[in-house]
Amino acid sequence: MRNVAIIGCGQTKHSGRRRDVNLAEMVGDAVWNALEDAQVSPLEVDAFAVGNMQGFGGVAQPEQWLGDWIGASGKPVLRITTGGSTGGSVAHGAFYAVASGLYDIAVATAWEKHSDSKEPGATTGLGHVGLGNMLNLVNCGVGFKHLLSMFVVGAAAGVACYQAMYYMHRSGCRVEHLDMVAAKDRRNAAKNKYAHLQWPGCTPEDIAKTEWIAYPFRYGHICPASDGASAMVLAREDIAKKRCKKPAWVKGLAAYSDEENQIMSEGAGGIGILDASQQIGATMSAIKAYKMAGINDPQKEIDLAEIYQPFPSQELLFAERLGLFDEGKAWQALEKGEMDINGRIPCDLSGGVNATNAIGSSALQRILECALQIMGKAEEHQVPKEVHNAVAHGWGGATNYITVTVLGDSPY
Amino acid sequence: MPYVKEQRKETMSVEADWDVGGSTTWKHSTLLQEYAYGLKVKKIIGSLCPGCGKVIVPPRNICGRCHRKMDERVVVSDIGSVTCFVISAPVIKGKTRVMGMDPVEMGLVTEGERVISVYVKFDGADSNIDTELIGVNPEEVHVGMRVKAVWAKEPQGKLSDLEAVEPLKD
Amino acid sequence: MSSQSEIVLTRAPVPLVFGFQWSVGEMMEKFIKTLADKKILGAKCPQCGYVYVPPRRRCGKCYAKVGEENLTELSGKGTLLSYTTAYVELDGVGNFRELDKPKAIGAIKLEGADSTIFMPLGEVKPGDLKEGMKVEVAWREKTEGELDDIEYFRPVKG
Repeated sequence: MRNVAIIGCGQTKHSGRRRDVNLAEMVGDAVWNALEDAQVSPLEVDAFAVGNMQGFGGVAQPEQWLGDWIGASGKPVLRITTGGSTGGSVAHGAFYAVASGLYDIAVATAWEKHSDSKEPGATTGLGHVGLGNMLNLVNCGVGFKHLLSMFVVGAAAGVACYQAMYYMHRSGCRVEHLDMVAAKDRRNAAKNKYAHLQWPGCTPEDIAKTEWIAYPFRYGHICPASDGASAMVLAREDIAKKRCKKPAWVKGLAAYSDEENQIMSEGAGGIGILDASQQIGATMSAIKAYKMAGINDPQKEIDLAEIYQPFPSQELLFAERLGLFDEGKAWQALEKGEMDINGRIPCDLSGGVNATNAIGSSALQRILECALQIMGKAEEHQVPKEVHNAVAHGWGGATNYITVTVLGDSPY
Repeated sequence: MPYVKEQRKETMSVEADWDVGGSTTWKHSTLLQEYAYGLKVKKIIGSLCPGCGKVIVPPRNICGRCHRKMDERVVVSDIGSVTCFVISAPVIKGKTRVMGMDPVEMGLVTEGERVISVYVKFDGADSNIDTELIGVNPEEVHVGMRVKAVWAKEPQGKLSDLEAVEPLKD
Repeated sequence: MSSQSEIVLTRAPVPLVFGFQWSVGEMMEKFIKTLADKKILGAKCPQCGYVYVPPRRRCGKCYAKVGEENLTELSGKGTLLSYTTAYVELDGVGNFRELDKPKAIGAIKLEGADSTIFMPLGEVKPGDLKEGMKVEVAWREKTEGELDDIEYFRPVKG
């Protein structure tokens, strides 16, 4: 297996409605931005990994449309889709292509275009994710009052509500901390020209004024549904060293899935996971990725993290899973400012998924943002210190999909 | 909202519908129906894994961790503990609709009521079921609370036979 | 007491339709709106010269950017490269349904364009279709700036 680095990154502006472009134009923009950043011509690209959650935008085999819009004519294209962690898996797919020795330069691109669905936000996509189980429940005479309790909670936030409550109960974290995380993310997003929800100077009090959706979440805690695309160019070691001033090396990666399909198994059966915030897959992925990257003490060796956090509770609980803070103590570290730009381990300086959620693109953006920080190209939200190691995380389903990627400024 | 907003051109659209309801039929095993029939006689049924010994409620055919078939059935208690709870915003008439129907208009909730959705681990089970918690103020709900099943007055072999849970009175 | 051999079929108990509205982008919007003037627009790549219809803002051959300045008006006449005739259609629930009249569809290379379009063919009997035939656009009487403004293509008389 050979060393692989990210040598170029490209994104489109993410917003609630990118109706000025069609899907192919939007993804094309991200890919061409990445190729330009990498100074690589499309003829030099050997393979593509692409992906989104296709149900959300209603295009069943998007790679067939995108082919000659992203320079993929005559090249192998692999479409990968793994729920919320799609972007991470797409990046891993491109990594495998180059690390295996089969290809020298690969492009990873992921996107989402929610506004192509008539229902607002992510309704259409979410509607057909759990449909089979829902109909099984209806067929077996589920009570309307029970459906109501599922909907009023589930509609906006679903399992994340339960996950947050588990975490808050066992760690002592309070709603105020969720306000703090959401405010930090939207403040950070204001410094990221590609982010969606940009609120310069957002404070926890601003978030606390928004209305309750379902305890513990307020309207201001919840991620948006964004349209947008992102892309990266990955290359083998000698090409990266020759063509890129400061490549971002992929030092370690892992993707463990746990059991389950949303909050119940197939056929609406139960699942053997009692605590939705336990996330064993995240712990296992982090252990494997750190081992591969040669990181023994993440609390000391990781300089910043990009965590997949459509909900602020997830920034805290996944930061602990990634070994960045002690068990149950991330919210205390937040109070001390350890997650801020000048803190010990800045988290989600781009604003994260909480500020920008084009589902397919989101997990790819976490890796992309770590790469930008290592390369020194994060512009207004660049961390003011040397970045030697960074960790990017992706989450999908409810406990099923996780991707963890460790990037560094050197391959060793 | 004080977010930075940007204006972009809105180009025309090509539209189409996907008639999911009219064109799709789902296949299910009879496991969930088996569970519902158990509820009719006030029995909560789970499946037992021969590998790890976990009891999963409602039953499923294969253990998610050991991947072994779970053919054996176990009846668990109708008393259990709340492992997690989420409280909805007050339900307002005309604002919250479920499958096109208004729960306040239908008399299912009173205006302004906050619905409490809980995960309950019945004694003997190693999984949660989600249901509604009634008969308690939202402020009093806590993790670890002991609860008891509330059965429908006229059970019909449907999932709604287990209506909700309520605090266990000792 | 397990009964995995039995299968239950369920359908949605209420109408369940997901609607989609794919935004077309600026080049395609220009093309569609110009149909109102009974004009068909193509775009010529400034780098390799490949002409696309409908127009697109990036060349699929050499990947150069193509702009509004590269739009070009086509004559609406072309050559029939290939064709087929359909006698049945899908009814949306898994069955075939016979058409009242067979539908002919052709792959057409418009004069001045390099790419192919697929269009219904009218005013011609399926048996009379021939590869290489000259065809031309038959416009809807009242064009509105919609894709349906092109009703079909018909053989050029004479």
